[in-house]
Amino acid sequence: MFLVRRLLWFIPVLLAVATMTFVLMHLVPGGPWDQDKALPASVVANLNLKYGLDLPIWQQYLQFLGGLAHGDLGLSFTHQDQPVTELIFQRLPATAALSAIALVIALVTGLGLGMLAASHQNTRLDYFSVAFATLGASMPNFVLGILLVLLVSISLRLLPTSGWGSPLHLILPALTLSAFPAAYIARVTRSAMLDVLGQDYVRTARAKGLAERVVVLRHVLKNALIPVLTVSGPIAASLLTGSFIIETLFSVPGVGRLYVQSVLSRDYGLIMGATLLYGFTISLANLVVDLLYAVVDPRIRYR
Amino acid sequence: MLKIFHLWRMRYALLLAAGLLLASCARSQQGSPAGPAGEDGSVPQGGELRVNMTGEPDTIDPHKSNFATSILVASQVFDGLFKYDQALNLVPAVAKEMPAVSNGGVSADGKTYTVKLRNDVKWSDGKPVMANDFVYSIKRSLDPKLAAKYAPNLYDIKGAQEYNTALGTGDNPRMPDAAQLQSLRDAVGLKAQDDYTLVVELKAPRPSFLHLLALWVAWPVREDVVTKNGDKWTEPPNYTGNGPFMLSTWAHEQRMEFVPNPNYYGEKPKLGKLIFLQIKDDNQAYLAYQNGELDMVAVPPANTRIALTDQSLSQQSLRYNDLVVYGYQYNMIVAPFTNAKVRQAFSLAVDRKSLIDKVAQGVGREAYSAVPPGMPGFDGDAGKQYAFNVAKAKELLAEAGFSDVSKLPKITFTFADTATNRLRAEFFQGQMKQNLGIDVTLEPLDTRAFQQRFNASQYMVIFSGWGADYPDPDNFIPELFKSTSRNNSGHYSNPRVDDLATACQGTLDYEKRISSCMEAQKLVAQDQPWTFLFYREQLWLVKPYLKGLQVTAKDQLPGNRFYQKVYIQK
Repeated sequence: MFLVRRLLWFIPVLLAVATMTFVLMHLVPGGPWDQDKALPASVVANLNLKYGLDLPIWQQYLQFLGGLAHGDLGLSFTHQDQPVTELIFQRLPATAALSAIALVIALVTGLGLGMLAASHQNTRLDYFSVAFATLGASMPNFVLGILLVLLVSISLRLLPTSGWGSPLHLILPALTLSAFPAAYIARVTRSAMLDVLGQDYVRTARAKGLAERVVVLRHVLKNALIPVLTVSGPIAASLLTGSFIIETLFSVPGVGRLYVQSVLSRDYGLIMGATLLYGFTISLANLVVDLLYAVVDPRIRYR
Repeated sequence: MLKIFHLWRMRYALLLAAGLLLASCARSQQGSPAGPAGEDGSVPQGGELRVNMTGEPDTIDPHKSNFATSILVASQVFDGLFKYDQALNLVPAVAKEMPAVSNGGVSADGKTYTVKLRNDVKWSDGKPVMANDFVYSIKRSLDPKLAAKYAPNLYDIKGAQEYNTALGTGDNPRMPDAAQLQSLRDAVGLKAQDDYTLVVELKAPRPSFLHLLALWVAWPVREDVVTKNGDKWTEPPNYTGNGPFMLSTWAHEQRMEFVPNPNYYGEKPKLGKLIFLQIKDDNQAYLAYQNGELDMVAVPPANTRIALTDQSLSQQSLRYNDLVVYGYQYNMIVAPFTNAKVRQAFSLAVDRKSLIDKVAQGVGREAYSAVPPGMPGFDGDAGKQYAFNVAKAKELLAEAGFSDVSKLPKITFTFADTATNRLRAEFFQGQMKQNLGIDVTLEPLDTRAFQQRFNASQYMVIFSGWGADYPDPDNFIPELFKSTSRNNSGHYSNPRVDDLATACQGTLDYEKRISSCMEAQKLVAQDQPWTFLFYREQLWLVKPYLKGLQVTAKDQLPGNRFYQKVYIQK
């Protein structure tokens, strides 16, 4: 019941997002046919007629809603007149793969570093982990990306500099994308674990004679995971949306790059499509996180 | 203790093995060496050329093409009636000979063109290319439903404009029915007199018409392929052309691969494969070149000095000027730029040499007039009276009544906010402050917003540029400086220039045309609607094993008009 209600909420949320985007998109100065060498008026007239941009704005909005109901978001002006939905679904796998791998790397690295740091608090291992995490958080990811390319591709000649198609192409962009989330998760995990490690029931478990590993894994981890889960939702969403820079740097044919280009070139159908996709993804990520809370914390139950 | 040692050794060994495995996989991406020399024994066949095209083209349909990346792709796969040789002279391609009055190809009144086609030109699937293909193709470019961006370049053809504007505009829509639209299409002055003769009728004589007929909107496409596949006709394997290459693979946003067209009528490509990669970031492309993933690359601004001075890199460098001029453009209906003396003073206050050094890293040629070297009508002396001279600038400002510069209205420099444009803007600001004591306010905008303001003439001064679509004088001075031209957003108006520009466009005698345009150019250089700054130069690095490259001043990528001549020799 909870699930159904939450899923139904998607509809008004996405509708609101779509409407706001539509309005903003048409308010912004500059349109799809503006360019340095002005197009002749007859050409602009033909283009507007072809793509339905000659209609009054309210009519265009209604047409957009009508199309949306059928899953038709129109044609992309900047991609060979390809239908927007087809275009987005073509590019989605690359971004999804990149984000998924980056999320896994971020979680594994972040949790690992955080746990190590917390369980060896105030030792060199702790300081190293914190320093590593701070570096990852403060370096802009395109700087990290180029450094990795210089080191791994140019000096060591181990991997290609950019592109997509083989598992090798995934490594550098995923590593670069995971740096900031890994650092963030490490910090959150460390402080959550430290907090839990100081609790009475942990003392009890140790007093009972349990091995440290069992204490950490069976008693501490689950509780420490709750704040990590809280940040994972937005992190997963930001990985998907924030991959634009990495996608451009490494020539990954994903949605992030498509989205930003569409805004810059005022490709209206594509802007709407990509915005709706992101809106949907963020809503879904939040829903999944909420559901996972119930799994991790038995005190939480949804009606 | 011993156990741990063994464990470490094993882990290290595994890591090493993994590294070696990865390294061997990575090695195989280098360009494949060319095969053995061909039967004629002269050059190695079958090599691969890898170039960066920087981004996904918005279309590769020649009739819808507008931007350089589209034309770059289409030019490998399609040959039009005429093409350009290395000196940018028009030469026959699918046409058997250049139509002229002497061979009956052009009527005495200049309004009828009879183009004889070769009878041995084939599409990549073996079918013959005929005059009907050109009739269909040119009419397709004029179809209002296609909304081709370069359709107006064909408006000299009788009936073309009426057909292309048949649907009216948003404010004044017209609703012709299918029959009316068809009759407008039939009325366009294009006819296939026989299988290999194309007849074109013009509204009025246009001396540069052969250049227009060589543009991508007049390249032939296959009617049956387009009808059958709709918008998907540009995806391989549908994309059928008559040019030296065929598009074999298109991995969107990543790469395009071309192979030689076995049925090509002209010089067969020596390459086995032509690859266009889509690396969006300039610096990544440069790294890819150094990593052996690209065979030539444009040098990013930050690396210009190194590329020119480093011993091994400078030997790989390729530098040439293309037909683009840059300058600061003034809006002449906004004070103080209504006053010629103010504009001239501003021009005198700009140190072009310093600009080229700071803004273009030394790659570029000083410009004092509109037409670049390599274009007919280039005049190296025009406008030289406005070369850098601060004393003269101050004198002119005083003559204009502004010996006290604080009396000038606030000057705003508007630009599209990119890194390069920022440099250009800040340079202008710096020069005005340093040399004349004038404060200039910078106004950065998003690119599209800037373009809209520019075309709507809502600015005071901007950085502007102009490149030729085809190497004929009527593509420069008349397009930019005729008072009625849509590219004259600065509202420049000089009736004498208008007359000369019209003569340059309409006179049949070539020498008279050039001299009209040159005279107009001198007047423009006197009036200074722009402060002409520099002519663009390209700086590329090319691997030493890349041979046969033939560069023109009108390339999309170096040598792209003649990739069939390129070969790899390692």
